[in-house]
Amino acid sequence: MTADVTQSAATSWRHLAAGLRREDLAALIVFAVLAAIPLAVSGYVVFILPQYMLFGILALSLALLWGHAGIVSFGQAAFFAVGAYAMGLVMKHAALPINSAYVGILVGAAGGAAVALITGYFLFSAGVRATYFVVATLALSIIVEQTVKSFSNVTGGWNGLYVDRMTLTLGPLFELSLFDDAPMYYVILVIVLPAYVGVVALMRSRFGKIIVGIRENEDRMLALGFDVPLYKTLVFGLSGLLAGLAGALYATHANFAHPSNAGVLFSTQVVIWTAIGGRHSLLGAFVGAIVVASLSNYLNAVTPQYWQLLQGLVFIAVVIAFRRGLAGLAETLFGSRGRDRKRHGNAA
Amino acid sequence: MEIAVSVIADTILITLVLALAAFGLAIIYGLIGVINMGHGAMLTLGAYFTWWLTQHGLPFVPGVLLAAAAVGAVGLLFEHFIIRHFYDRPFDTLLLTWAFFLVATEVIKIVFGTDFRNVASPFAGAVDLGIYRVPAYKTVIAGLSILVILGTAVVFFKTTLGIKIRAMIQNRDMASLLGLNIAAMYKLVFGFGAFMAGLAGGLIAPMFSVDPYMGNTFLVRSFFVVIVGGIGQLLAGTLFGSFAIGGLETVLALFSDQVVAQIAVFFIAVIVLRFRPQGVFSGR
Repeated sequence: MTADVTQSAATSWRHLAAGLRREDLAALIVFAVLAAIPLAVSGYVVFILPQYMLFGILALSLALLWGHAGIVSFGQAAFFAVGAYAMGLVMKHAALPINSAYVGILVGAAGGAAVALITGYFLFSAGVRATYFVVATLALSIIVEQTVKSFSNVTGGWNGLYVDRMTLTLGPLFELSLFDDAPMYYVILVIVLPAYVGVVALMRSRFGKIIVGIRENEDRMLALGFDVPLYKTLVFGLSGLLAGLAGALYATHANFAHPSNAGVLFSTQVVIWTAIGGRHSLLGAFVGAIVVASLSNYLNAVTPQYWQLLQGLVFIAVVIAFRRGLAGLAETLFGSRGRDRKRHGNAA
Repeated sequence: MEIAVSVIADTILITLVLALAAFGLAIIYGLIGVINMGHGAMLTLGAYFTWWLTQHGLPFVPGVLLAAAAVGAVGLLFEHFIIRHFYDRPFDTLLLTWAFFLVATEVIKIVFGTDFRNVASPFAGAVDLGIYRVPAYKTVIAGLSILVILGTAVVFFKTTLGIKIRAMIQNRDMASLLGLNIAAMYKLVFGFGAFMAGLAGGLIAPMFSVDPYMGNTFLVRSFFVVIVGGIGQLLAGTLFGSFAIGGLETVLALFSDQVVAQIAVFFIAVIVLRFRPQGVFSGR
């Protein structure tokens, strides 16, 4: 009896250990480092890094589409901006009995998801795919950008929208201003971590396998009876949700929502982060955005002209020769190739 | 009456200018299936080369032609060293042409600076239509746009080269088996598309101020011209698509402001994309 229990406990432990992959170990290290940084340094790094983590979530929202579902979107900034402006407008105008920042975050994430679900259903249900879809998402970015520019009495137009730093509250008992950088840092980390874990878990579930199945062979999945447009719409909606969430938090962190948050250039910056980080790896995309954004910040101060050029050349090199990006590089270096390679082998 | 004439004249001019700007994209997208995200940068390059050459004493017309040839050459190099290896991977060509945009824009900023530049219009003044005066230079460009499209139509339908290109579009493998040099034709088409983009950029330079992002305004509108007109419907499609996008913008701008008109046009274009992915003009 006892032996049985021990044995089954041991088995389930082994199952758990087998379920954990090297990527999870890497993720553990990444998040541990992120959690330790404010203990080691202070000042500008602690201020700016949460924004880059949110860019990481934005890149993750694209990697989910690109690497797993085989859908390329040039419209991620549109959802990000919807989240950012929703946050700003809710915090500015809503007189609510509860903390308006919480409502703003929810509305921002839901807004991003709603725009993505509507656009996704509209296009996927008609079988719009591949490059046509890219052009449509490109238009989405421009539509959102132009909209926030032109309704300036609501959105502040070109000047952008000022957004307050949120305050953390828990009923009437507890209140913490996030005006200081370190508390804000940890609040964002505490939201980013479950977002990452949740997406990874979802992609390992049945839903994730169906999504990958659609990427590999859409017609076969259709023939097997899966409602392909519905699944594509759902994954696109999830991607919009993540991007909207990142946008809402970004607005309150940066104190600002701006039309360029929606623009084509920002949308394509997300594509670059994801490509450099590794389009097939959720962790790779997350880390890629943080690394490239940090480098960009640093090199923009040192050599503003040549940094953009360098980024363009690196992007070309990644597309041509290093399709798996930083994640692929890490895999080669730390040699977990066999299994993972088989899994991703034929991915486009 | 005056408004009607001015709207009609403006619509025709905008349609033809947009058709010229979109033509290079339509050629590359329609004939060899590459979504050239670098199209905007090629327009910008054409404008900057024209500016540089006219600054250095060349008259406008040879300046534009030389600029277009230079952009064509850049396009050929890009095709030869990079794009030709990725024809069977459309997403990658899309990413690579976008990278071309990034690199070209940065090189432009480094070489020419970020200040606004102006190219003097070779035909100042206006054409008087009695009730409405049309800018002379725009009218010349509109005429050129028709000439260029008709000229391409003649090549396409009346020459051996045109037959070869049409054979290549219809069945690439069969055309190759019959002895057509597909690689060379792709190169030719890509180079010609880049040349056309450079030509359009040089020609529209006197109408706008030249800055490193000027091509972007045209990039997405050009895509919609091609999509609304129908991919592969080079001639009638490009004209119709330009009419739909440019004309709608002009007419809608009468009732609202310019930006709202543009948003509405993009909405309509996305709806067209959903219901008629082959383009409004296509028979299928």
